[in-house]
Amino acid sequence: MTPNERFAAYAAGAPLDRLPCVPIVGNTAARVIGVKVGDFRGNGRLIAQAQVASYRLFGYDIIRIFTDLYTQAEAMGAKVAYPEDETAYLAAPAVDDITQLDRLHPADPLKDGYLPEHLEAMRRAVDAVGDEVAVTGALTCPFTNASFLVGADQLARLMMRAPEKVHRLCEISLATNLAYAEAIIAAGCTPSLTDAMSSMSVIGPRQFKEFSLPYLTRLIDFIHGKGKKVTLHICGKTSGIWEAMVAAGADCLSLDNAASIAEAKQKVGDRVRLMGNVTPSEVMLQGTTDDVRAATLACIGAGHDNPSGFIVASGCSLPTETPFANIHAMLDTVREAGWPVRRAV
Amino acid sequence: MSAEKERLLQELSDAVVEMDEDQAVAAANEVVDRGIDAYEAIERGLSAGMERAGDLFDQEEYFIPELLMCSDAMYAGMDVLKPHLKADNAAVKHKVVIGVVEGDTHDIGKNLVKIMLETSGFDVTDLGRDIPPARFVETAKNIGAKIIALSTLMTTTMEGMGAVIRQLSEEGIRDQFKVIVGGGPISQGFADRIGADGYAVNAADAIRLARSLVHPSAAAGAAA
Repeated sequence: MTPNERFAAYAAGAPLDRLPCVPIVGNTAARVIGVKVGDFRGNGRLIAQAQVASYRLFGYDIIRIFTDLYTQAEAMGAKVAYPEDETAYLAAPAVDDITQLDRLHPADPLKDGYLPEHLEAMRRAVDAVGDEVAVTGALTCPFTNASFLVGADQLARLMMRAPEKVHRLCEISLATNLAYAEAIIAAGCTPSLTDAMSSMSVIGPRQFKEFSLPYLTRLIDFIHGKGKKVTLHICGKTSGIWEAMVAAGADCLSLDNAASIAEAKQKVGDRVRLMGNVTPSEVMLQGTTDDVRAATLACIGAGHDNPSGFIVASGCSLPTETPFANIHAMLDTVREAGWPVRRAV
Repeated sequence: MSAEKERLLQELSDAVVEMDEDQAVAAANEVVDRGIDAYEAIERGLSAGMERAGDLFDQEEYFIPELLMCSDAMYAGMDVLKPHLKADNAAVKHKVVIGVVEGDTHDIGKNLVKIMLETSGFDVTDLGRDIPPARFVETAKNIGAKIIALSTLMTTTMEGMGAVIRQLSEEGIRDQFKVIVGGGPISQGFADRIGADGYAVNAADAIRLARSLVHPSAAAGAAA
């Protein structure tokens, strides 16, 4: 079955070869075609080539065009550092001083920063394999993107001292997000939402509801209005905000390894599909293939009977140097488990 | 006098927990005016408040924004009290070098550990973020640190922690320092693999770890 056929059959309750499986491959794709991570900078053609090659090598079920979290913030003026062969990182926020808030403007995804190149990567991947597999474009959500505009420490303090400024930042972020989401959809893809800073490892549920949820909801409403389903990934601990993530309109929650699939299944599994959550560093990067197999089986055991469906996945993007053997092992384990999942699992 | 002192210590502690910088400064000024020992006011007032804030964080009552605001109040009070510390209070603080390894600029976790270490009586040199291995080693040597504390949130930069330890070994000074590691992708297994002296899962754990490394017997006693 192709991934598209598999997802369609799964949704219809028709016969199926196995559960969908998504080891979330980001810059590991560079290793698949033997280029440096830094070569992806501003090179949509190469990103597409690597992501398509990675999909063909491993045979997973969703392609996600992603290199780092900062593309929108960079297009709004943040400084991003690009090591030669490692993942890019935020070197400086867009403004150092909150009095410069007026300097910030929403990005134009067709012109600003490397957004046009990421859109190019999406179009090329869709051209190559879009008839068999869904291609998504990573989109960093309003609150997290806002933290890259002023810096995480400053944003955290503003939440307590000047909440109206945080709302202004999130509003500007959202304007960029909406324009980028529209461009991603026009490229034939679905936005894949990622919101690292909305985690309970950083902010509390009350703060999530005040500062993140309103903007997230508007973003998801917009994407739904274009006829697309939404997968929402929030890193770290999230159990206290699952209800809010569902209320925001997410169709699928992508859970970090710090969250429990079994618990999520009980609490919100009747309303949303779940996706997760093999540990990226300890198991996928550092573990043996046996470790990957055991962790993948544990995920399948916890999630396969989720009422709204389950995708076996890594808990977050895979580290660049994740051994290929471990990615193959994850897929192989899901294939062996089959569907309906064999009793032995 | 004693009741008055206890009231002020409580006010300092409460000002930290309630994230009230003005209150912390006002109470600290009153401590100075009344000639109350500055060291005791920091230990039993401000630091005690920061420990309560840490407990609230463990209980998921407080999150990172609250902890940062609490630490702002603590440092505001500290700035008033520090000039009034007597010289004999200043002795026997163990030195720590802390920073986020090269290639990573996520420093909220590192900042929390730094705050809690200072609260617990360590003398902390914060190198900041995106720090090459050689600078950790060089600084640790220069200030005579006991502990080198390394943080990263990114799997891409974890290996930089191993580089610090390798450099210490190459210079033949590995046994002069305790190296502790922490951050999102780090685990005890990773710490063991690179030969670190310890791993801490969060800021509170980092304090326990640091104490046990500089006072092995005292920590064992406290844990029992």
